[in-house]
Amino acid sequence: MNVQFKKGVLELCVLVLLDKQDRYGYELVQKISDQIEISEGSIYPLLRRLTKEGYFTTYLQESSEGPSRKYYKLTNKGRKYLYQLIDEWNEFSNGVNQLIKEGVNHDER
Amino acid sequence: MTKDKFLQQLNDSLKRLSEKERADILQDYEEHFTFGLEEGKTEEEIAASLGSPSQIAKEILADYHLDKVTTSATLGNMFRAIWAVIGLGFFNLVIVFAPAIALAAFIFSGWVMGISLIASPLLVIIDAILHPSAFTLKLFNLFVSLALCGIGYFIVIGMLFVTKLAKNGFVRYLKFNVALVKGGLKHDQ
Repeated sequence: MNVQFKKGVLELCVLVLLDKQDRYGYELVQKISDQIEISEGSIYPLLRRLTKEGYFTTYLQESSEGPSRKYYKLTNKGRKYLYQLIDEWNEFSNGVNQLIKEGVNHDER
Repeated sequence: MTKDKFLQQLNDSLKRLSEKERADILQDYEEHFTFGLEEGKTEEEIAASLGSPSQIAKEILADYHLDKVTTSATLGNMFRAIWAVIGLGFFNLVIVFAPAIALAAFIFSGWVMGISLIASPLLVIIDAILHPSAFTLKLFNLFVSLALCGIGYFIVIGMLFVTKLAKNGFVRYLKFNVALVKGGLKHDQ
């Protein structure tokens, strides 16, 4: 898939994952790369940028095993932005699906 | 690539950031390695799936420079931001660099014209000192140059506004461009 396109979608993926619960960076990366093929390193700059823009807050939490984890928490502003992105995504993917459906049908005839 | 080599390369490419910010970024990746190693992956595997450190650094630096140019738009900051945005893709060389040069050339020529018009009476005076003859012609030249000088003032005042407007406009264009290159336009910003 096109790299630039994927990057835009990554933002949506990160926000969606944080909607129901707080997560730490590695967890987010794994969740996403389980589903989509990405270069994992680009998630961290994305997290930094979204944090700077006020969509997340972060906190450190000690864990029994391993180093302390940096958790990301969605802010109200972030949640609003998420819903807006979901709407845009639905509108976009519906449109593309419709085009694919029409295109493929015509080809089959 | 080993963990140390990955972190070293990332660190080297981020020299322009402050000590604190750089440490913060490296910390994220160090943690990533630690968690990955715990899951039984090798350092090479983790580094490979992270992607190239220089590409990661490019993304971080582009964000950083845009941030800076938004808070203080000095010429140096502006140039570094343009450069960082160009770094995001060759495609951008055309759509960022060309308008930047055209705009800069326009502004530069506007200033040169305004200032030289303001200075034109000086030339008449120098001419009069060097060649003290043909008095009526000199007088005519002097009045014309005074009129030009007035026009020059208007141009310079206009250029002050144009320069300011262009600066703000271009910063916004850069941001729009980054959003475009990163995929998907955001309507809210």
